[in-house]
Amino acid sequence: MIRVAAVGDVHVDSDVLGRFRPALEELPHRADVLLVAGDLTRHGTVEEARCFATEFGGLGVPVVTVLGNHDHQSDQQSRIIDLLTASDITVLEGDATVLELHGKRLGIAGVKGFGGGFAGACASNFGEREMKDFVNTTEVIAERLQDALLSVEADALVALTHYAPVPDTLLGEPLEIYAFLGCYQLGRAIDAAPTTLALHGHAHHGSERGRTPGGVPVRNVAHPVIKQAYNVYQLLSEEVDLKLVAT
Amino acid sequence: MSTRLDEYLEAEIRNLLTEGRIAELGITVHRREHQLVLGGEVESPARRDEICRQITERYPDVAIACDIAIIRAQAPNEVEEIS
Repeated sequence: MIRVAAVGDVHVDSDVLGRFRPALEELPHRADVLLVAGDLTRHGTVEEARCFATEFGGLGVPVVTVLGNHDHQSDQQSRIIDLLTASDITVLEGDATVLELHGKRLGIAGVKGFGGGFAGACASNFGEREMKDFVNTTEVIAERLQDALLSVEADALVALTHYAPVPDTLLGEPLEIYAFLGCYQLGRAIDAAPTTLALHGHAHHGSERGRTPGGVPVRNVAHPVIKQAYNVYQLLSEEVDLKLVAT
Repeated sequence: MSTRLDEYLEAEIRNLLTEGRIAELGITVHRREHQLVLGGEVESPARRDEICRQITERYPDVAIACDIAIIRAQAPNEVEEIS
């Protein structure tokens, strides 16, 4: 059994320091790893990333993240990744990591993702150069996720993105902005691998649960959606234990 | 001349909240009679207060009702089994 804690869109700045920490201090009793689905910061500055590392670092469990669109706002994503990596926080950018937990291998493949839309209402690689660049970005990022997922041999495999891979978890958002919240190409990448669970954020007004067309469970863990410090998902269950015991 | 409560004002306020210092993309703005109602959730009371302050500063003659909540950050008490 492996327990995965997850949250996204925490948008940490100095005003948030200390808000998550009490719940995060309990993590070693509740989960084996924490996954953060992007938008770690407000404006993507190194100072905000330092606040994130202070709040979410040194937890006693591995912390694995992807970046979100907010983390790109100041064009300092490389420095943010360096800072987080130096704080023992793993940042996935189209690659994967494997954690040995309780004798099992948990694979995590992650990428930020991008917009583009979903079947019947998606952007096409056609027309103006700007539109082709937009869709090409979507497709390249999705291919990187698929390659990362297929590169891993694990007992359980989690896909971690910021943008949504399915429209199910966008229910509650205005239909007009679905194309800016995710894309079907991420879902197709997830379905191309033996993925156990897909986690994403970005859709603050969306819904928590969905599935890819291939049947992979999808969870929107954006903080405004789950309304708690993190959710916990149990994988590879031998016995179902639906109660957590805080110590 | 007083500020008109119309769709353009809604769009301007959304841009103010998104592109400025606040960087909140999830705040809803609705017109209700003679006031603007702000909704959504943010990570701290300071951010909620800053949102109202910036709108009031930019549009001093617009009445605002602030329904913005602070997202809870407590530990969970349940686990979901994925199968």
